[in-house]
Formats: sequence, structure tokens, C-alpha cells
Amino acid sequence: MEAMVHSSSFLLPEIPAGDGDGLKYALVLLNQRLPKFTPLLWKHAQLRVCADGGANRVFNDLPLLFPHETPSDVRTRYKPDVIKGDMDSVRTEVLEFYRNMGTKIVDESHDQDTTDLHKCVAFIRDFHADTEDTLCILVAGALGGRFDHEIGNINVICHFSATRIILLSEDSLIQLLPSARHHEIHIQSSVEGPHCGLIPIGAPSGSTTTTGLQWDLSDTEMRFGGLISTSNIVKGEVITVHSTSDLLWTVSLKKL
Amino acid sequence: MDVMIHSSSFLLPELPADQTSGAGPTYALVLLNQHLPRFTPLLWKHVYAAQLRVCADGGANRLYDELPGLFPDEDASSVRNRYKPDMIKGDMDSIRAEVLEFYKNMGTKIVDASHDQDTTDLHKCVAFVRDFYADTETSTLCILVVGALGGRFDHEMGNINVLCRFSTIRIVLVSEDCLIQLLPSTHHHEIHIQSSIEGPHCGLIPIGTRSGSTTTTGLQWNLTNTEMRFGGLISTSNIVRGGIVTVQSSSDLLWTVSLKKS
Repeated sequence: MEAMVHSSSFLLPEIPAGDGDGLKYALVLLNQRLPKFTPLLWKHAQLRVCADGGANRVFNDLPLLFPHETPSDVRTRYKPDVIKGDMDSVRTEVLEFYRNMGTKIVDESHDQDTTDLHKCVAFIRDFHADTEDTLCILVAGALGGRFDHEIGNINVICHFSATRIILLSEDSLIQLLPSARHHEIHIQSSVEGPHCGLIPIGAPSGSTTTTGLQWDLSDTEMRFGGLISTSNIVKGEVITVHSTSDLLWTVSLKKL
Repeated sequence: MDVMIHSSSFLLPELPADQTSGAGPTYALVLLNQHLPRFTPLLWKHVYAAQLRVCADGGANRLYDELPGLFPDEDASSVRNRYKPDMIKGDMDSIRAEVLEFYKNMGTKIVDASHDQDTTDLHKCVAFVRDFYADTETSTLCILVVGALGGRFDHEMGNINVLCRFSTIRIVLVSEDCLIQLLPSTHHHEIHIQSSIEGPHCGLIPIGTRSGSTTTTGLQWNLTNTEMRFGGLISTSNIVRGGIVTVQSSSDLLWTVSLKKS
């Protein structure tokens, strides 16, 4: 089976031509403080979806990133395509503001079984049903705040294990490396690293082998309660990982 | 199966009468290198034995920088004198030289463990506290950890893993927004909810392994012999309904509950 190639080129000011294998990006904004590089993600994305209170964050936080512009100019430029979720967090005036600007509002409060992120990912997958292989969903505001929310967001990437979904905060990036695939992670050292980790979040991993790390694993068992790879360091430009269980890959992001 | 009782009484302004004068848990406090919650002075107060406030490496920077900010009407140096850690331990790659000197001069014990790159700073501090209380029953020891969440995700996971590795010791990770502790599968758990300070949002997380069967009472969405695993069902965005939540599971679970803004 072919290697699965990963690259954080969406964090670069311009995506290099020929890089990223023609991935199409979608952006989901959740209800935590948005990272300072959110406008960059917005630029690379073709579809921008706010999960419920993520709309409050776009409304409040984006103008702060452009102090020399008027808030209403910034809000007009950064208009989400969809606001979706159970609508228990989005402020009424924010909802009305974006509704008047043409944002599609999808109220899913009848569905209490799935998280807002799950609903947004399902929507984006359906929207891109024909081009799933080239889809990459970026999620801003996925970490911090309540721990159960954070874990709920991680569970979404475990559940949709066949879809590239990248959770982003100011400090870190997290993505799933599905088991039994050979993974090649191309490190963009201007924006990420050197701290990294591999985490057997849902099940022990009987065997993981890596190259390119300070402390490489060699057919090593990993499990919570025993060894997991945290505070590791990226040494090479390409990290390879092969594991018998799904792992979370996490790498630190450099301050802008 | 024995019952293990949990209560966040360490977050109450005053410890309940039955817990003062040595009758209740023996608390220790570990401070890590993230933004300290506003109630850190309250936790500091509840730690009785003088030897048990430990900064893990850069946690000393946080204590030095952030505690004065919580007492704006006091002079910074008198706050620092009052909140002097008993020990600073870790690999010393984060603590600032002037902070280290300040506390060293005040009599804080400094333990440089930089030769040991195999365990995290939290692991080293928990091992120290456990060894310090080797004669005390671990069932009465409760290690409170602040600054464990937020920041780098791999650090957060490393801290969670310390709970899993020391599964027979009560360790509670506390942030501004929530608390996290391990519920070992060896016990039936009774969680007494202090509704003035915690809830209603909560969750049960099968960290690192699938849980074949979990049963709860006292939650909005109770589990009944329910399987939980990452990729499938896990209990997040649940709601505390009763004054007591009970949990029994075939695997170790993380319990998390939101904290109310003070």
C-alpha cells in the first residue's frame, strides 16, 4: 500500500505549487480562542463552517487580528459559508448578522447525540462526496477550555479515520495516523516543531516504528499507563511512522 | 469490590469539619508550567504538611510571576514570601535562573533531575511525593496538580499518562475550567458533587483502551453496561444530575467535570 503523505503546507503563507497533492481544504471554526494564523487557514480554505459558538469567535476575535481595520470591514471579509450545530452557544445578534450577510444557518438542535464538530465534518464530507481523497478539514479552536470538549473533538477524528482532519490550536497540531498505513510526515520547519509526540489514544499499540525523531521507536509497544511518546523532538525533515494501532501525531507550532 | 469515594472539597473555601486536623485526605500540591488557576492560593492553603508544595521546573516561574497578580493590593515580594514552594524538582530546562536563585535563597530545596530524560517533570514530582509518604496509606494521599492542561498537547497527554501510570494514587489535574482524575477499574466509584463549585458538564473517557462495560448513576445520560471506545461512543458533554455520581467500569476511565467560574 502507498505511503500516506502529510504536510502542514496550509500553515505557509503560500502553498507551494505541486505540494499537498492537490488537497482541497475546508475550515471549521469551534468555540475557543482562535489561533492567530486563522486568517491564513481561511485563505487556503474553499469552505468555511462555524460550529455554533465558533461564529461568536469569528465575530469577536478576527477584528482583533487586524487592529488597523474597522471591525465591520473585517467581519464582511471573513464571512462564514455555513453556521451549523445545536445553536446553544451562538449569540442571537451574531447569528442575525451573518444570516443577513447570506451565511447558511443549519439548526441541528434536534440531534443531541453528536458533537457540533461531528455534525460539521459530516456536512463537509457530504458536500465533497465526490472528492473525498483530496479533502483535508482544518479545525481551529479545537483545544483548550473544557477537557471533555477537547476529547470529544479528538474522538471525531478517530471516528472519521478515513478523512484527513487536522485539529489546530495556537500551540499544537494534532492528526490521526491510521493504523497499518506507512506514514510520511514532511516537516515545515519554519512553522512547526521541534516538539512532537505519538499517542495511542484509544488502544494500546503493539508495535510502532519511526524514523526522523530524536527518540525513534523500533517495533516498540506503546500504551497509556506505560510508554507513550511525548516531548519527542523532530530531527529530520521527514518523519516516518508505521504502527499496528491508530496513533495521534502531534507537533508544536512556532509562535508567529 | 471496594468503593472509592471522591469529593472536590479541596476547592471549597473551607475544608469540611471532618477533614480538618488530620482526619481527611493528606493533600500535596504540584505546580506545572502553565497558567495557574485563580484558585491556586486556596489549594495552597489546604495543603497542611509543609513539605508538600512542589514546583515542577518552570512551575516555579508561574508561581513567581502569577501569584502576585492574584493579590493586586499587596506588594509582590510579600506575596512571594508567603507562597514559597518547599521544593523545585525537574530537569531545570524551563526555570529562569533568577527565579531559581530567589527560591534557593529563601530555603526551597532544589532537586535537579536533569540526568533523567525518560520521565516527565510531573512523573518525577509524583514519585517524590509518593516516596515521601511511603509510610502513609496511599488511600489517604491526594496529589493536586495545577498547570497540567493547556499549552502543548503532547505535554497534556504526558500529564494524563502520569495518572494512568500511578493508578493507585489519587492525583487530580485541576485547571481554570475543569478537573480530571482517573477512576481505576479495581473499584466502584462514588463521586460526591460539590455543586457550588463544579458541574454540570462532565465526561467519562476510556483513555488508552476500550472499555467493554460501564454503568453509571446520577448523570443525564447514564451508561448501562455500555461499551465505550475512541472511534465509537465516549461520554462527553454529559450533565451531572444528582448529588452523587456512581461509576463502575471494566477499564480505567478518566472522569472530568467542569469548574464554575468563581
